[in-house]
Amino acid sequence: MASARYVLLRLASGAGVLLVVAFVTFAVFNLLPSDPAQLSCGRPCTPENLALAKGFMGLDHPWYQQFGQFLAGIVTGRTFGTGATAVVCPAPCFGYSFQETAPVVQLIADRLPVTVSLALGAAVLWLVVGVALGVVAALRRGTAVDHLLGGLSVVGVSAPVYLLGLLGILLLGFTLDVVPVSGYVALTQSPLDWAWHLVLPWIVLALINGAVYVRLARGQMLEVLSEDYIRTARAKGLRERTVVGKHALRNVTLPLVTLFGLDLGGLLGGAVITEKTFGMPGVGSLLLDAVGQLDLPLLLGTTLFAAFLIVVANIVVDLVYGFLDPRARLT
Amino acid sequence: MAGPDPRRGRWRRSALVRAVVERRPATVGAVLIAGFVLLALAAPLISRITGQDPYTYDKFALDPATGLPAGPLGGISSEHWFGVEPLTGRDVFAMVAHGARTSFLIGVLATALAVVLGVVIGASAGYLGGWWDRVVGWTGDVIFGFPYLVFMIALSAVAPPQVPRTLLLVVAIGFFGWPRVARVVRSATLGVARRDFVRASQVMGSPTWRTLTRRVVPNLWGPVVVVATLSIPERIGLEAALSFLGVGVRPPTPSWGRSISDAIAWVQTDPMLLVFPGLALFGATLAFNLLGDGLRDALDPRTAREGAH
Amino acid sequence: MNTHSSPSRRLVLAGLGATSFLAACGANERQGSGSGQSSGSTPTKGGTLTVLVSSTSTNFDPAKSQSLAITSLGLVHRRLTTWKVESGKPAELVPDLATDVGTTSDDGTTWTFTLKDGLMFSDGSPIRAADVKWGLERSFAASFSGGLTYHKDLLAGAAGYTGPFEGARLASIATPDEKTLVFTLARPYGDWGWVASTPAFAPVPEGKGAEADYGLKPLASGPYVVSAVQQGVKIEMSRNEHWSASTDDVRPAYPDSVVFSLGQATDVVSQRLAADSSADQTAFGAGFVSPAQLVQVSSNPSAKGRLVTSESGALAFLALNTRRGPLQDVQVRKAFQYAVDKAAFQVATAGTAALAGEVATTLITDGIAGREEFDLYPTDPSGDPAKAKELLAAAGHPQGLSGLKLLVSQSNNGPAQAQAVQASLAKAGIGVDLQVLDEDAYYAAINTVNADEYDLALASWQPDFPSPNANLQPLFATSAIGNGGYNSARYSSPSVDAAIATAQATVDTDAAAKAWVAVDKAVMADSPVVPLIYTRNSFLRGSKVTNFFIGAFPAYPNYLAVGVSS
Repeated sequence: MASARYVLLRLASGAGVLLVVAFVTFAVFNLLPSDPAQLSCGRPCTPENLALAKGFMGLDHPWYQQFGQFLAGIVTGRTFGTGATAVVCPAPCFGYSFQETAPVVQLIADRLPVTVSLALGAAVLWLVVGVALGVVAALRRGTAVDHLLGGLSVVGVSAPVYLLGLLGILLLGFTLDVVPVSGYVALTQSPLDWAWHLVLPWIVLALINGAVYVRLARGQMLEVLSEDYIRTARAKGLRERTVVGKHALRNVTLPLVTLFGLDLGGLLGGAVITEKTFGMPGVGSLLLDAVGQLDLPLLLGTTLFAAFLIVVANIVVDLVYGFLDPRARLT
Repeated sequence: MAGPDPRRGRWRRSALVRAVVERRPATVGAVLIAGFVLLALAAPLISRITGQDPYTYDKFALDPATGLPAGPLGGISSEHWFGVEPLTGRDVFAMVAHGARTSFLIGVLATALAVVLGVVIGASAGYLGGWWDRVVGWTGDVIFGFPYLVFMIALSAVAPPQVPRTLLLVVAIGFFGWPRVARVVRSATLGVARRDFVRASQVMGSPTWRTLTRRVVPNLWGPVVVVATLSIPERIGLEAALSFLGVGVRPPTPSWGRSISDAIAWVQTDPMLLVFPGLALFGATLAFNLLGDGLRDALDPRTAREGAH
Repeated sequence: MNTHSSPSRRLVLAGLGATSFLAACGANERQGSGSGQSSGSTPTKGGTLTVLVSSTSTNFDPAKSQSLAITSLGLVHRRLTTWKVESGKPAELVPDLATDVGTTSDDGTTWTFTLKDGLMFSDGSPIRAADVKWGLERSFAASFSGGLTYHKDLLAGAAGYTGPFEGARLASIATPDEKTLVFTLARPYGDWGWVASTPAFAPVPEGKGAEADYGLKPLASGPYVVSAVQQGVKIEMSRNEHWSASTDDVRPAYPDSVVFSLGQATDVVSQRLAADSSADQTAFGAGFVSPAQLVQVSSNPSAKGRLVTSESGALAFLALNTRRGPLQDVQVRKAFQYAVDKAAFQVATAGTAALAGEVATTLITDGIAGREEFDLYPTDPSGDPAKAKELLAAAGHPQGLSGLKLLVSQSNNGPAQAQAVQASLAKAGIGVDLQVLDEDAYYAAINTVNADEYDLALASWQPDFPSPNANLQPLFATSAIGNGGYNSARYSSPSVDAAIATAQATVDTDAAAKAWVAVDKAVMADSPVVPLIYTRNSFLRGSKVTNFFIGAFPAYPNYLAVGVSS
């Protein structure tokens, strides 16, 4: 019972976070010196046309009323205009982009496969490689291998994704011509091309994010190896491989789940810089497009989506952690 | 492991110095940082001596047939140590040196702001607990859940040009940084608050704020120094990332992030344009991370794990 | 709306940084023949042409489009009139759906067009005068705004009209029979024939087109129909079986199908086309080749031969906000004419003066019939800071000026160009702060008059149709200040307004041209803007793309004429 209440509380607080994020975004973008209706006004734009476009887009109300309409639309859907030319945005309507003539939800859904491909592939890579290298470093504590990995992980933490990405593009894309320079091919279109276009971004993201995992896995492994049950297992004469593989590794990985969930949530929410660097048409570039085009509904939608994923990742991590570690449940 | 005596400052400084000197990577980091700081401080002086500033156009440094730098390796010469920028002929060394001023100024000031806010909010939340602690925790959640890049992009469009861009960046970057500091400080406060000398102060009837400022906060310096040192490279990186996206400091003020962004288009024809600002940004970030790691190992093994994220 | 509005906004307005390839030998002569030569064949029917576009959204709704007559929209929709664009010749107004370019019975207020025989939509139904009327009326509906709107202001009784979908019709468009259209204008307008070449003059079957996504599956009147749409990825077009080549003089329609590949970053497109891999040989890029890519291309002989450069292009200019502080003084504004280093601007634009485009001194652009060249402020292209200082001192600013806010768009190399202007003004004692905005935010700032205005703006303008009218009226008429207008200098002169009105009402072409040249000189005498260059645009094509050329106007390839060889 207590845990059900905890879950509910957690969800409610997450919803609260989203509401605040939406409100702040809405308020800030309504301070912009420009008018989104201007972009739908045509050229030359007369005041009359502008007023017409404003009315149609629902921008002729004060911004707090528009915010209310936005919230209501999530539940009830929205209809812009009347009669034969009305535009319907079905519930849950997280806004309608007049510039792209599509509901924001649909636009995000169109771009999501790119971001998911990018984030999941990289995440798997950095989790596996990061943990493996961390464990190796721990087992070879104090050796040259340990120092080398330690050094590499500082380098990984310090390198900005775009710098490493650009150098990768320069070296592997232009000079050696072994990977594509930019772009995205759908998995359904050609699995091979899909992976081929993603290889460099995956590696770069994995290098940068994986560095932290190497360190954490190493620290965790050292701690676990000093625990009694490992010593017992060793004393019982179990082979080192069994000790490490069966007993230690599980205990090393669990705490990393927390970090992994948060990193993944952030990345799925829109890897803005990564997508810009590698020319990937994902949610992150959708966000940049929205900013560039002053597409307020799209901007609000993508921002909320990014925040949503971060919040969800937080909740999932908390719950998973509580599930794995009963001591943490009631905190 | 905070200092044994909360009232003495001398020991702390020598501990810091020893922690750095004993660890070679940390020493390297500290020396690098000193080098960058020197470069940043001396940039105007160097400009005056060499006559190369990051603003002056020099079409004689360009190949008139293409607009590319005249000469190999992006126009590196005894006059232009790092070459010149295509289309403008501006000196790349001057841009990197003056860019260091921008990066360090924003990185350090934003960190200072985040640390001050974080210590005040985190220590009070940890010490006072109750509703204030919950409000702080939840506000931190909101800020963690906030896509700050979007916010910064919006802000750069909203803010009138009269607002100094450096100040805007310091405030925005610093503001988004406080929850992390606050979390570390809060948990450290919880530990300190249980200790005897704090209890004693409470029992003796000192006012809460007095106990907090005289007894608790001075004992948080270990985690705070570590989290601050590790924050600086992040803030520097953030400034560079924002400038990379075109919403950081305004041209022509030099910034490493913008130089890197400008270099993208030339990566095939003039790769050196990417190399120098890239190395500078990477070197500065690396230096702070090396120093921060060393300090963390020495001062605060426990935050080593928490602080990683 | 964005579909073609965003690309064509860029098309028409943002010539900023548009660059061109022009070796010292002069690409002008080269560009006409370049395409045919390297592919070694005359255009033939068949094949698939691919157009690589950076925008991710595209629709083919004529009401929402700002597309030029000779680019994407022209493949699908015909209009009453259109442009005949040939290499090295000024654009010519020619009939499209109509039998002539419009006749006026009086002083230019009433215009009559007659449709050709045998015109059909892609569903086989006939194209009637009522369908053209419906298409125009439809463009007044709030849900279909965003296109070129010159007709909205000119048609009599159109104020307050909100489209035909609630039953209201526009009396100023009469259709006495199935073939005849009679337009009644609110005032005499000599360029109505040109206005009839804008997208809204494409037919939409009477009673149809109410849905917001009509642009994804429009009924075509041109040689191609939109056959498949993958939003944000690509648009495929195949032949329209009901289009009759014999009624169409401007669309040879060589390829069997045309594919618009969306969301392709311009620099990547240049790299791909330069490499000319088999998939890209039948493709061309819709975006300008950037300065960095031009350097790359010029060192690659194969790619160099496939680069096509315009002779001229959009007017790049520095707008001086005539309502702000010291800039209200015409003597101060004249100092700017001497202060700006146009040569540095050329280098910042494209690396060399020859690549960037010629130095501009007039407001009417090259390639527009009736243009007269003159220079009211003759000086070295590098500027004359000493003279500028002198003028400023004489105007009461011996210390120069400081803290002027220069607005510039992030796109098309704008910041680099602005820094060049900033550096040259500094030499004349004029201190400038840059404000770099995203393209749309930039235009929003230009289009709206607000309290927190800019002092200077780096801007660019290419007329929507090839008449001096379209050069001058949108930039310098009082009515174009704010409210969505492009008068970035906030220039307002009653005498110039009157002269513009008179010139617009002049039907006789030669008389109108003379009137416009007078307006050009009158405006320049007040110095509201500093003309910088006529920006050349360069485009790259694959090796199997044929008949790829740019006319004297507009500075864009003629999509309608392009073919592919096998």
